[in-house]
Amino acid sequence: MASIEFVKVSKYFDRQPVIQDLDLKIEDGTFTVLVGPSGCGKTTLLRMIAGIDPQTSGTVLIDGKDVTRIAPGKRGVAMVFQNYAIYPTMSVRENIEFGLVNNKVPKAERTRLVETIGETVGLADYLDRKPSTLSGGQRQRVALARAMVKNPSVFLMDEPLSNLDAKLRVQMRIELIELHKKLGTTFVYVTHDQVEAMSMADTIVLMNKGVIQQEAPPEVVYRKPSNLFAAQFIGVPPMNIAPLGEDRSTFGFRPENAVLAAEPGSFHFSAKGEIATREMLGSETIYQVKTGDGRSFMVKCPDDIFHVDQEVYLGVPADKLFFFGADGNRIEERDARYLDFLERLRGQSHG
Amino acid sequence: MDKKRIWEGFRPYVLIAPAMAGIFLFVMYPVGYLIYLSLFKYNLLNKDKSRFVGLDNFTQILGRGDFYKALWNTTIYTAGVVVLTMLLSLLFAVWLNKKGRFNSIVQAGIFTPHVVSIVSISLVWLWLMEPNQGLLNYVLKLVGLPPSDWLQSSKTALMSIIIVSVWQAIGYYTLIIVAALQSISPSIYEAAALDNASKFKVFYKITLPMISPQLFFILIIMTIGSFKVFDTVQVMTGGGPNNATTTLVYYIYGFRTTNIGYASATGVLLMAVIGLLTFVYFRLLAKKVHYQ
Repeated sequence: MASIEFVKVSKYFDRQPVIQDLDLKIEDGTFTVLVGPSGCGKTTLLRMIAGIDPQTSGTVLIDGKDVTRIAPGKRGVAMVFQNYAIYPTMSVRENIEFGLVNNKVPKAERTRLVETIGETVGLADYLDRKPSTLSGGQRQRVALARAMVKNPSVFLMDEPLSNLDAKLRVQMRIELIELHKKLGTTFVYVTHDQVEAMSMADTIVLMNKGVIQQEAPPEVVYRKPSNLFAAQFIGVPPMNIAPLGEDRSTFGFRPENAVLAAEPGSFHFSAKGEIATREMLGSETIYQVKTGDGRSFMVKCPDDIFHVDQEVYLGVPADKLFFFGADGNRIEERDARYLDFLERLRGQSHG
Repeated sequence: MDKKRIWEGFRPYVLIAPAMAGIFLFVMYPVGYLIYLSLFKYNLLNKDKSRFVGLDNFTQILGRGDFYKALWNTTIYTAGVVVLTMLLSLLFAVWLNKKGRFNSIVQAGIFTPHVVSIVSISLVWLWLMEPNQGLLNYVLKLVGLPPSDWLQSSKTALMSIIIVSVWQAIGYYTLIIVAALQSISPSIYEAAALDNASKFKVFYKITLPMISPQLFFILIIMTIGSFKVFDTVQVMTGGGPNNATTTLVYYIYGFRTTNIGYASATGVLLMAVIGLLTFVYFRLLAKKVHYQ
């Protein structure tokens, strides 16, 4: 078990800054998900913790200890790679055992550990097979077993589920949550998939262009996004955003919080529009509504009662509206500008 | 409809026919004819005076010391060239695989000997190895080492030829190994680093097995190639001094006009030796080679 801390960490690739003066603390025992679009620096952060791509400047602390000069194999961390990075020339057993052999664990102990872990991840019957004979999901388990067997204080995972098919991914997600609960160690998980982040994380660290946008539990990121980027990154479909007046400030609402009706209702924000597209997903239906002034909003409805080209009234209650200042940051309810913005929006409403 | 079906059946054979014709004409027929010739006391001037002698040529070969001498020389030469070239190429390749400023230049430079004709190379080395005026002895003296007789002593002649062959071959095989090394995913090395593997262990347990198919290929290609060595011997020593560098093919070449049947029989034996070696390689090593 260990906490991880970045202090004024910068990373340059060929003199190009990827991360500059970043501070971050990952609490001991949490499941932290680093999420963001590709190229945002999340994998870079992970690799710094592992020590396979050390920071250019600044300090990385594991359990309060500066690990800058400590080799990757001696940091007490284990990593699951996106492509699994299984040693193709070794059998499953040798793959799982390799780290133990290098750490001079006695043979009897090794065998016991490998068999136990093999049982845990469901690979007991495959221990003497070569990785090339395994399916994608089984390889994923080998990678996981290889990390688990070392009993690390920190688990690093670099998009471990991205090569699996959708069904298996959902199953592995649940297994990882259970694994974290069972082991209680610090998990740091990198993904670009906000669904993975929302479903697994204790804490989400949302990044963009090498800068942390928000660091909070999933429900907070969802309910109180700190800025436009966070608001639009989390949630499917992303939050609807539209301009509010001339000063580049904006307002937004989540597709699932808008109400569609055939008759005008009494909502704080309402607009008349036409249904442009309809995506029936089973439990819900996603409509794209185009308003008369050329804006389009996504609306997620539990029932499927409208059809394309139908005229509808879109309404959002006041407490489901978000406002963002000209700098892109969200304006909180207690902010003096909040009521002003609410008023401004009422003035805009039409239909 | 029927015609079409017949054509469907024939088409693959028609398509490979040109290639097969070449293989038959230039490989299968010569091999067959070689075996045929090896059973005759062949008269080049008058074919009618050729006489079928059965396995006489073979019994004669196996009873002669100079054949064993040539076989021994070839074996030493092959072992020397294969072992040295593989070790040095591997060493160079591992070094060149690191990204350095000079590495592309070195890589091009090391490959150059492969482009140059082996005859030119042999001639240049012949001068370099000249005991009295040659550069090599000059350098040896300069650093205070005793000079060598190089090609002019039966003790050092074979070694000298091995040096030239290795020098010529290294660049090409280094290139093959570099390509193999670069195909290994870096994340495997990163995983090994996280598994606390030492440098030696990484090389022995990961790098070597990963490039084993290429190494195995080089081993077989080089063994076959070295057993057939001729040009360096022909240009540099002519098999001398005192048959110290007579290799099998050079031995065969010696009988090219005087005794075709005998030369053919030696050729058949050479083929058998190479075939046997390749078979042994596959039996011993194929299990250790890892194919993706």
